[in-house]
Order: sequence, then C-alpha cells, then structure tokens
Amino acid sequence: MAENPSGSSVSGLGRLKTWVATPELRVRLGIRAVLVFAVLLFVYYVSTAPRFFSVTNVTNVGARTAPGIIVAVAQTMVIISAGIDLSVGAILAFSGSLASVAYCYWGVPVWPAILLGLAAGALLGFINGLIITKGRIPDFIATLGMMGTARGVALILTGGLPVPSHLTAVTLKAYLPEEIIWMGSGDILGFPAGALIGLLVVVAGWGVLMHTGFGRALFAVGGNREAARVSGINVDRTKVMVYTLAGLLSGLAGLVLVGRMNSANALMADPANLESISAVVIGGTNLFGGEGGVIGSLVGALIMGILGNVLNLHNMQDFAQRVVMGLLIIGVVLFDQLRRRYGG
Amino acid sequence: MSSSLILRTEAIDKSYPGVHALDHVDFDLYEGEVHVLLGENGAGKSTFMKILSGSVPKDRGRISLRGQEVEIASPMHARELGIGMVYQELSVIRNLSVAENIFLGRLPKRKRFGTVDWPEATSQAKRIMDDLGVDIDPAERVGNLSVGEQQLIEIAKTLSMNAQILLLDEPSSALSDEEREQLFSIMRGLQEKGVAIIYVSHRLAEVPRVGQRVTVLRDGAKVDTLPVDQVDEATLIRMMVGRELGEQFPKEEVERGKELLRVEGLTVKGVFNNLSLSLHQGEILGISGLLGAGRTDFARALFGIDPIDGGEVFVDGRKVEISSPSKAIELGLGYLTEDRKDGLVPRLPIPANITLASLRKMCRLGFLKHDEERMSAEKYVGELNIHTPRLSQRIEFLSGGNQQKVALAKWLCSQAKILIFDEPTRGIDVGAKVEVFRLMNDLAKEGVGIIMISSEMLEVLAVADRILVMAGGSFVAEYAAGQASQEDLMRDAVVR
Repeated sequence: MAENPSGSSVSGLGRLKTWVATPELRVRLGIRAVLVFAVLLFVYYVSTAPRFFSVTNVTNVGARTAPGIIVAVAQTMVIISAGIDLSVGAILAFSGSLASVAYCYWGVPVWPAILLGLAAGALLGFINGLIITKGRIPDFIATLGMMGTARGVALILTGGLPVPSHLTAVTLKAYLPEEIIWMGSGDILGFPAGALIGLLVVVAGWGVLMHTGFGRALFAVGGNREAARVSGINVDRTKVMVYTLAGLLSGLAGLVLVGRMNSANALMADPANLESISAVVIGGTNLFGGEGGVIGSLVGALIMGILGNVLNLHNMQDFAQRVVMGLLIIGVVLFDQLRRRYGG
Repeated sequence: MSSSLILRTEAIDKSYPGVHALDHVDFDLYEGEVHVLLGENGAGKSTFMKILSGSVPKDRGRISLRGQEVEIASPMHARELGIGMVYQELSVIRNLSVAENIFLGRLPKRKRFGTVDWPEATSQAKRIMDDLGVDIDPAERVGNLSVGEQQLIEIAKTLSMNAQILLLDEPSSALSDEEREQLFSIMRGLQEKGVAIIYVSHRLAEVPRVGQRVTVLRDGAKVDTLPVDQVDEATLIRMMVGRELGEQFPKEEVERGKELLRVEGLTVKGVFNNLSLSLHQGEILGISGLLGAGRTDFARALFGIDPIDGGEVFVDGRKVEISSPSKAIELGLGYLTEDRKDGLVPRLPIPANITLASLRKMCRLGFLKHDEERMSAEKYVGELNIHTPRLSQRIEFLSGGNQQKVALAKWLCSQAKILIFDEPTRGIDVGAKVEVFRLMNDLAKEGVGIIMISSEMLEVLAVADRILVMAGGSFVAEYAAGQASQEDLMRDAVVR
C-alpha cells in the first residue's frame, strides 16, 4: 500500500490475518472448502456403495448414462450459443415413442421407424429454432412451450401406455426390434453399445465445436451476438441449426433409452432437462454463452450418472434423489457465479 | 430575477485513468437563473453534472449550497439537498402510468394496511402537471406518450422531490420544435418560482433564448462565464474549439482512383434524410458532426445492419441491394463499429476474432482451415503491431488500442475495399491513434476507400481528403482538405 510504506515490516502471520479478513478471500476459501468437502463426500459414497466396482455395475453405469451424455452434448451446443433448450427431455420421449409406435403398431419396418424418430426430433428442434428467430420469442419460453407440446403429442401417440402394450385398441404387430434394443442394451466386445454411441456423439460434438465454421459461429453468436451479426454471420440460421441439431440428438438419445428399457413411454426421461443443464454447468460451460465444450459436459454427465447409481446402491428412494439432483444444480451454478466474481 | 446565490463550486477536480475530466472548475448559480453549460463532446459537461447529482464523487474542490459547504454522497443525497437531475437518456418506465413514474418508489400509502393510495397519487400527479402547465392524464401509460411528453414526466418526477436546482442534460436533443417551445415556457415558469436550472446543450441558437448566463468548458477546464447578451455564436464557437491545429498526424497525398461507392438519397425515416455521397479509391472521406447527428445510423444502414426506407447504393458502378452485413462484406465493405465491443467477441482468441468476417473463406467443406487462420492472424498481428503475450490470447485481456487494431485486422482479413471507420480513435491513447492514422494512410495508398466518422474535428481535418458535415440527419456542408477550420465544422454542426 502506498499509504503504508512500512507495511513490509508487518509479520507474515499478521498479514495472513488481514488477508483472511478480506471478504473476497473468505469467499474464495469458502468455495475451496465446500468443493473439497463435496469431492470427499462423493468419493466416500462411491467407495462405500455396495458392489459399485463390480463389472456389471460399471457396465450398468455406462449404459445408464448414455442418453444423458447425448442430451448433454446437445445442450452444450445450445448453451454455448447463449440459448437454452428445455424441450430436450420431451423431444427425447416423443422421438422414442414415435419410433416404437411406428414399428410396433403401424408395421413400419425397423430402419424407416428409426429414421422417422430421428427426423421427428430434428423437426421439433427446427420448429424451436424458427419460433425463437422468426417469432422473436425468448429461447426459454419457446422451448418451454415445446416441452409441453411434445410430451402431449407423445401421450396421444401412446395413449398414455407403455409401448409395446397389449392394452391398446390397435393390435400389437410386433415387439421392439433387435436393432433398437441393441442401441441401449447391446454391447461390442463387452463394451455397452449405448455408451459407445454416447462417446461417438461427444467426439462428433467436439469436432463440430472446435473444427467447423458452424462451431465457430456458435461461439461468436453466444459470445457477442451483435459482433457476430456485424461480421456477417447469419445469427438466425446459426440458431435454427443448433436447435435442429439438439432435436436430432435428443431423438437419438430417445432411441438409446428405449433400447435400454426395452419399452417406450411418453413420460420417460422426465428429469433430462435438469440433468443435461447440470452436466453442462458442472462441465464448466458458461451458462450465459460464448465459452465451454463437450468434454466437460461428458465429465458432468458421468458425475451425474455415477451419483444416481451410487444413491441407488445406497438404497435412496427415487423421489429423494430428485431433491439431491435439484439442489446439486443450484449449488453448482451458485459456485460457478461466486468463482467468476471472486476468482477461485 | 432574484439574485441570491444558491450553488457555488470551487476548483472541482476529477480524473479518470488517462483523462483529466475536470480541471479546477469554478461555477456559480443564482436562484431563478438558467445557466447554460456548453462544450464539445468530452469537454467535461457530463462529468460536472454527475458530480453535482451525486452519481460520481469529485476528487478535490468544494461545493456549497446557500453558503453551506456540502459533500454530495449519492444521488439520493443530492435529491435530499434539492438537486434534481434529468438525464439525457430517458429513465421513465414505459409500462407504468404517469403517476406511477412520478412517484416511483414513494407512492403515497394508506395508513391502515400500507396499500397504495391511488386517488391521492393521481391527484398529486395532476397537481404537479397543472403546476407545469401541461395537460397529461396521470393514468396514461407513459409508453403511449411522445418523447417530449416523456421528458416532461422526467422533469415532473424531479420537481415532485422538491428540487430547487434542476440539472437538464441536453433535454432538447430528442424533442420536436413545438415540444422544445413547451419545454422553454415550462422552464420560464420554474424560474419565476425561483428554481435554478443548469442547462446543457449543443444548440448554440438556443442559448440566448433560454439562459441568462453561459459557461463554456473545454478539455475539462472552464474557459469563461459570460452573460448571454454579451456573446454571439462566433465567440461561443471560438471558446468551445480554441485549440490550434497541430501537425500531429502526417497526411500523405494519394492519387484518387476510380469511384468505389456512390450513395444516392439514402433515407431512414425519422433518423436521416436523403444522404448522398461518393467515395473513390485512395480517398479518405471524413464525416464530421456531433453525437446524435445520425452519422452512426447512416453507417449502420449503409452496411445492411438496419433496414433503409429509400435511396440507392452503387458499388463499383453497379447498383446493389445491401440487405445484410454478410451482403455488405461480400461486396467488399467493412465497418469498424463506433463501440469496439460491438465488433469483437471478447472471450474468443485473437485469430478467431481476426477471421470472424471471413469465416466462409477460412472453411473448406465447413471445416476450419486452422493453419491458414493462424497464418493470417500472425501476419496481421505483425503488420499492425498488435501487442500480445501470445497469439491465442483472448481479446478481453488486450488493451483498448490493441483491441481496436484486432477489430481493424478483421476487415483487412476480409479484404474490404470500402472501409467505414466509426470513431476509430475513441478510448485509445495517443500512440495508438497515430498508428491507426498511419494505417489509414497505408490503406488509402493501396487503393482502399475510407469513410471516417469522427467527433474529433481536429483529427478529421488532419486526415480526411474531403469532409462532409452532418447535422440533424442531413449533410449540411462539404469541404475539400485544407479549406475548413474547426470553427467552420463546429458552426455547421451546431447552427441551424
């Protein structure tokens, strides 16, 4: 300090005391302490969970997390462009239900049914993009509306029943096909197929973000929309494309989830929105756009998946797990904000 | 006019990093007086008003109210002292009623349950409006009022806090002629009630009509305070400009080539009218004028950011429709924005920002050509002398001058042949300024045509081959290099 040139003679301990007394440092130390505590708690629960390290369980976690990873990649790209997609879970359920209904009740062959599910997901994402850009509706509201709509349509499609089911008015033509079940439950040399699809999506997402003009445009639009526009980037087209891509990936996640459960239903993946946003934020992507990446989101999704699995192994009931997950996202975003404000 | 002193400042001093905003300013204000404050952009008028209204602290000096020395700690404190500020940008809330705006945060309450006493609020608002002599329904939604009426609501709000001193920061810039007349008659009414007013304006013609005395600031220092009947416009302009033209910026002669750009009758309704110009290879065309004259709006419309209502644009003699910035870039235009922040993505590294306007060229089948991007970035970082610890540095960590050079590199990278520079030297230090001008000269030598929009008349005079002066949405004068003085440009910009 200029006012106190003799400050250097103050003892080290005294200086430490004044340091700790500054509010910024206390917050910073607090952040560190809580993070360390959280990691220790996580490690403790993982290591004490019965059978966590068994081969079946690790495979199980991989398969269980796959849809979450795929949706998290979609959400990452949307959030980097300074948007948010609250309809990923609903589109996931809609696409999975549509493909299943088409195959089981309508007699559509397996590959066309799968393509139908994916295309429908992309279409809903495209509509999201159009509403947001052409209708100038905030991302939050547009995708919130889509969330309700897509779930509703899925409920109508399935009659509110699991697919396949013998209780419907339409005669059941077939059970779910091998191909879809393989996506969720199959394996390649013991490695779960779903997890493999998830990893492929992560690699593709990384490639798009880091090595394509579209990926660069996403960062530019999310980082400074006006600068992107003045620099000749078509902001509207970029946004429509990223929501379409998010819809497509949500559809893919739907097929993987149906395959894992060997059944589709309109209400599946209910917490997918919350979980994907949590994964993205835990992974270090800025919730306000312009910076981040899919590798972090992969880690975030894995943490969420392992946490869910561990809580299961500890016999925590599903309802309580939701409370934990909900609090987790609030905590993570709060920490992220504090860290940005005070440095961490 | 009574003559009791209400406000006096002595040796007010204020510095921001790199700028001496106010330099020992003495100022006084009498009861019932309208005191006009004049000066160029950046002369320190706004800083002075902000200190009086408590939104920035002074560094040194004394402020006394009715002979009593005061420390104005906050805008709240200023209001308690009877100082009310009406801001240049309207701070009314459009979705609320007139009465709600006037009593924002202090609506009269009923004693019993603490609910709002609406009849009381309405009648009080009505009384204030009557005092002002204006006929506006207190229940009207403010968004439905004209800009002038909104300005009156602002004034009513300030007066409702029993302001004895009213600070008006360029209140007339957004008003129509009739609204301005109404404002003046309201000001006269307030004067008769003993309210003292400090009035900041750019319009010299208004000065003798509204004020009794005028104070001119220049580069943060007071030039003089004079009674309005002792000064004419020429004197005021000389006082505002003052400086001699320095030879800081070397201007090189460049052969003028073929016509690159011709604009005919460009119009955006209510913003600017019927603007025409032509720009040749190797030419630097200056557009001078004050903030709010419509210069930036013109640039934005020309570059396809805002839609136009009429007019034609020719590039290389060919008629073109510039419907979007990407179309403009395709045609070889570049636009260095007025605010650097509008042209850069702060969290992206230098190379990504430099190639932002040439993204399509930097991709093959949609994939980025990283090597080519890095090579371009290295080239421009070297050529423009951009100081950075490493190439991959994020823009947000660069100094203002280096950020400006990156913004410029973006347009060099896009091979722009027609460059629009909007306030290219704002917020950068003198060294960087000279570098930017040298660069403009180099570009002109290579055959690029440059439109330079600037409020810094000295710089326009030194750099431009031809100067257009813009005021109130029109080009009001044109000069060739060396034919105009600062006084000429200032007179054209302010006198109408």
